Amino acid sequence: MLRASVKIAFSALSRSWLRSILTTLGVLIGVASVVVVTALGRGARERVGDQIESLGSNLLFVWSQPVAKSGVRTAAVGLTDADAVAIRNEATAVELVTVYSDTKVQVISPYGNDQIQVCGVDTNYLGARKFEVLQGRMWNANEEQVKAKVALIGQTAIDKLFPGQDPIGHYIRLGKHPFRIIGTLKPKGQSPFEDQDDRILIPIGSWRARINPTLGNRVQLIMATAKSEAHTEAAVRQVEAILRQRHRIVEDEENDFEVRTQDAFKQGQEAIYGVLTLLLVTVAGVSLFVGGVGVMNIMLVSVTERTREIGIRMAIGAKRLDIQVQFLAEAIALTLLGGLAGIGLAVGVIELMKRSLGWSMVLSGDAVITAIVTSLVIGVVFGFLPARRASRLDPIEALRHE
Amino acid sequence: MALIDIRSVCKDYATGPEVVRALDRVDLSIGAGEFVAIIGASGSGKSTLMNILGCLDRPTRGSYTLAGVDVGQRSADARAIVRNRLIGFVFQGFNLLPRTTALENVELPLVYRGVSARERRRRAIGALAKVGLADRLTHTPAQLSGGQQQRVAIARALVTDPPLLLADEPTGNLDTRTSYEVLALLQELVSLRGLTVVLVTHEPDIAACAGRVVTVRDGRIQYDKRSEEPARAARMLLELNQGVAAAEQGS
Repeated sequence: MLRASVKIAFSALSRSWLRSILTTLGVLIGVASVVVVTALGRGARERVGDQIESLGSNLLFVWSQPVAKSGVRTAAVGLTDADAVAIRNEATAVELVTVYSDTKVQVISPYGNDQIQVCGVDTNYLGARKFEVLQGRMWNANEEQVKAKVALIGQTAIDKLFPGQDPIGHYIRLGKHPFRIIGTLKPKGQSPFEDQDDRILIPIGSWRARINPTLGNRVQLIMATAKSEAHTEAAVRQVEAILRQRHRIVEDEENDFEVRTQDAFKQGQEAIYGVLTLLLVTVAGVSLFVGGVGVMNIMLVSVTERTREIGIRMAIGAKRLDIQVQFLAEAIALTLLGGLAGIGLAVGVIELMKRSLGWSMVLSGDAVITAIVTSLVIGVVFGFLPARRASRLDPIEALRHE
Repeated sequence: MALIDIRSVCKDYATGPEVVRALDRVDLSIGAGEFVAIIGASGSGKSTLMNILGCLDRPTRGSYTLAGVDVGQRSADARAIVRNRLIGFVFQGFNLLPRTTALENVELPLVYRGVSARERRRRAIGALAKVGLADRLTHTPAQLSGGQQQRVAIARALVTDPPLLLADEPTGNLDTRTSYEVLALLQELVSLRGLTVVLVTHEPDIAACAGRVVTVRDGRIQYDKRSEEPARAARMLLELNQGVAAAEQGS
């Protein structure tokens, strides 16, 4: 009986296939939105998690910040090596402290040249940011002291400068200065800001001396890691207190620096994804509703058109439930087809968004199941009234219907 | 015991404030194996009587016993079951499902009886063979002539082996020759298989093929005549063919 209903439903739909397709369009878009939303949400969660993980856990960023004094906004004073040292010595909740400055530089190798992020860092950088040396070695304290012209290189930079080559031991030119590559970095992938592998690390002293002499003893960024996640808040407070004291900021003056934790990044990312999700959920809800109403409308038309058929079926023994099941099956077949097509569309959209926007999206089994269940429910809800109307027809009237 | 037993059946229709009495205290008893024609002008109440006999409608008053079962006041679903089990319908307009093969059309009553697909197929093929359409199983109604369509409809009516076949103007859309073909088939089913046929018509020469003619007028049974020797449709068909042959020879 059920198999027969399904067969009848599909043959009825195939008779007016164009109408069926148009009818399912709303459901299709709705279901596609649902799937995309779910994939986006899941991708966002995984991505944010991954990025936080790749930044190094419990990481604090300290930027210098211009301040307004008596209504005049002055240039940022900046952070110095001494600030980093003070944090390292005084902040008890902090484990590792490192300094960081970067700039894009035209880098020339024997095999090619490209614009690459050149970062001046100290020896704590690898530990704080959870970078690992893949081949070769990190420079030592002595080399850092003497501003040695040595460099570590990330995988993306290797692909640009040394395609298919082993870069270790080779010299690259940063501006006028030759630097020897002594190590490679293990690939880390995307951070919230950039491709973390498209970079070259050199000692901070060398960076200041050869890449950007104007900065003096200042650095762009100080990074610190809290001893544990539980220590993060204390670390932020301590860093703020130390820097306020060192920068001689009095009671009610604002900071000339900013301390940010990963939570801030996380929240920023989640806010973006949240807005997007809300938008898509709204689109999904509206189009599912419109799609459902469309299905109901077309089923009502179908019932009217096929009144005679209903009369025949009733005359030869179809019970009310039989008729109801038949039309309900048709409505469900419609929405289910729309749902499956919607999943197909969603897969395409997800692939497109991944490629063109670089968003990480994960199409999960749950999303597909949700989509199928949603289309089933839409079919049942919006197919019920037409099916019921069909089942309540008077067989004599129905047989007389032209 | 009679297959059909109707006792003082009335059917009223409310059209606005007025009540129209379509059937007025009708008594009718039809035995198993009878071939009964119900004849009457339009508006005589014969269609109403047919609808009540077919359990498509309920009498306003009175009782209806079909094959020993009181079916007069059953619910819509109960009547659907009665129609499926006890009655086969043949209509003037054939009422086959369009774009559906002969085989699937004939299988349909069995679908609603919950018969398995394989058994449905077997019985539908058998029923189509009995009406001489074994070679037209996969044809849709549009690919069949009127006579063939009506034979598919008869196969559909018979596939459930009902004791009663109700034919509502079955020859109304057919030419004379095909009408006699269909009538000959019905007569054969009555005489060979003991089927009970109730045929509604307004044409006296179609009614003449039945062993009993019930004339309805103004909602009442006016005459109820039995004929010892009804017209043999097969023979009339033969004569018709001979006439054509003679005419061809003559020309």
